Amino acid sequence: MGKITLSQVTKSFGDVQVIPPLDLEINDGEFVVFVGPSGCGKSTLLRLIAGLEDVTSGRIEIDGAEATELPPAKRRLAMVFQSYALYPHMSVRKNIAFPMKMANVPEDEQARRIESAAKALNLTDYLDRKPGQLSGGQRQRVAIGRAIVREPAAFLFDEPLSNLDAALRVGMRLEISELHERLATTMIYVTHDQVEAMTMADKIVVLRAGHIEQVGSPLDLYRAPRNLFVAGFIGSPKMNFIEGQTAAAHGAHTIGIRPEHIEVSATEGLWQGRVAVSEHLGSDSFFHVHDTGLADVITVRASGEIGFRHGDTIFMTPREDQLHRFGADGLRL
Amino acid sequence: MSTKASRAAARLMISPSVILLLGWMLIPLGLTLYFSFLRYNLLMPGDNPFVGLENYSYFLTDPGFTAAIWNTLALVLGVLVITIGGGIVLALLLDQPMWGQGIVRILVIAPFFVMPTVSALVWKNMFLNPVNGLFAHLFKALGLQPYDFLAQAPLLSIIGIVSWQWLPFATLILLTALQSLDSEQLEAAEMDGAKPLSRFWHIMLPHLARAITVVVLIQTIFLLSVFAEILVTTNGGPGYASTNLTYLIYVQSLLQYDVGMGSAGGVVAIILANIVAIFLMRMIGKNLEA
Ligand SMILES: Nc1ncnc2c1ncn2[C@@H]1O[C@H](COP(=O)(O)OP(=O)(O)O)[C@@H](O)[C@H]1O
Ligand SMILES: [Mg+2]
Repeated sequence: MGKITLSQVTKSFGDVQVIPPLDLEINDGEFVVFVGPSGCGKSTLLRLIAGLEDVTSGRIEIDGAEATELPPAKRRLAMVFQSYALYPHMSVRKNIAFPMKMANVPEDEQARRIESAAKALNLTDYLDRKPGQLSGGQRQRVAIGRAIVREPAAFLFDEPLSNLDAALRVGMRLEISELHERLATTMIYVTHDQVEAMTMADKIVVLRAGHIEQVGSPLDLYRAPRNLFVAGFIGSPKMNFIEGQTAAAHGAHTIGIRPEHIEVSATEGLWQGRVAVSEHLGSDSFFHVHDTGLADVITVRASGEIGFRHGDTIFMTPREDQLHRFGADGLRL
Repeated sequence: MSTKASRAAARLMISPSVILLLGWMLIPLGLTLYFSFLRYNLLMPGDNPFVGLENYSYFLTDPGFTAAIWNTLALVLGVLVITIGGGIVLALLLDQPMWGQGIVRILVIAPFFVMPTVSALVWKNMFLNPVNGLFAHLFKALGLQPYDFLAQAPLLSIIGIVSWQWLPFATLILLTALQSLDSEQLEAAEMDGAKPLSRFWHIMLPHLARAITVVVLIQTIFLLSVFAEILVTTNGGPGYASTNLTYLIYVQSLLQYDVGMGSAGGVVAIILANIVAIFLMRMIGKNLEA
């Protein structure tokens, strides 16, 4: 079981309020991702849930039981830190055994759980090494192993992949997702990378300056961002925003259109511009278009066969049904 | 430093200091060895005949010798235990955020700046003196008989004085080590259910192992040769109760103007120090490997 409820939780460091009053419900078995730019309070929120920081006010409930004042060890949550926080003088085996040793789990039960965690995480051959002798990805797996054996109510991850190289990151992303499928335990995952958020989450919580901007499934956020911030944050490349007359014609202060929702042509279209940079990824091509009279730059995404070059004139037509309209206050209309 | 040329250049450039250091150490060592085999007393001028191991046998059978060995070991061990134990406690305290942290840290480090003779005199006259000392006043205020520390427990008093001097050093090294501990490790241990004492035992202490090793090695070198504190407080007495090896050599050579005997004592001290060093490196040297 791992249902977590935050009600009116705030956190201040001295005079600075990092988390303004915040309500959030995390259901049992959900994979929840906190995403937002650096410094927006994701880690702080996670540490409040973990009990590593005290809330300034508000209540935290875990499985319906009051947990606001509980020390971290009593909350039955396991955390995987960004730096992995392995114990450097202990072997992998001892690292993984540590939480069980602290909980006085019997030796044979310890051995059994270490065995199965090591097998699941491909660590069997490394059990007697020290963390210093492992690669980044292996250390990451040890940290996850140490969390698994506690059989916690929920896992907390704080940017666990940010120290890994790109290829490894994709691999670990899959492994963590598979782990979630297998264990079906609640997971809260913090990242500033919206790709990780989109690919892994059941539910994304978009944060800005401690505020929850929107909560929803990845596709909800993609299809119906509640405001300009979420619209700009979710999706890659970023959504194009157009203000002024064009927007007014749609009865909005700002309209947004995603790069993938613009049709391009060399001969005719609604908007006209000049290609400044074209990026060819093979499967797709991205064109950064200047001199449209709409915005500084409009980004479009087209299939890989289409080949505009620097300086070419390009015609673009947005798909009307994919236009997002925002009011002067930044909220979706 | 990988090419042959750069290695040769490096050797050439460090050679002056190596030669200077070698001369600095080898010449006195050689002369000491040489003198230790001579009958060489400044009160008996004349030729200095070669007498083989006579000086050594006199030194080793001196009634004070065994006492001096044990006192030396007790002094080193006692001070090590007190300074490392106290140093860890102080480092843990100083690592806590508190008001006036900067000043408190300077205060803690202050004893290290007081030279040994002065600090021993301050202790002797202001604290331990059975008539005027602060402890005597304290005892009297409590209605107890003042205790003559330097006469009744001379070695313990000296251990106390020397510990007071070295506590700042240990604290400083251990505090720096403690501050380099990744706080996420402690938080991870906290989430893993480790109580404060387990966190100290399983996380902090292993992290401090290397710093403790450094403190033990450096302090041992200096503690084997404690001298000023004994000279100004107890003069090695009563009897041989607070005579360590360094002090015994001083008594044998300088007080009796016996160069041969003093040199023999010096060689014995060198051998003893090396035994201790080998023993220590065997025991804790592996902590220094990365
Ligand atoms: N212990 C602390 N003391 C003071 N300010 C802090 C502390 N921890 C975090 N902050 C501040 O809180 C804000 C949010 O930090 P954090 O939660 O680490 O952001 P994120 O993880 O989203 O990058 C930042 O502005 C940071 O400076
Ligand atoms: Mg963070």
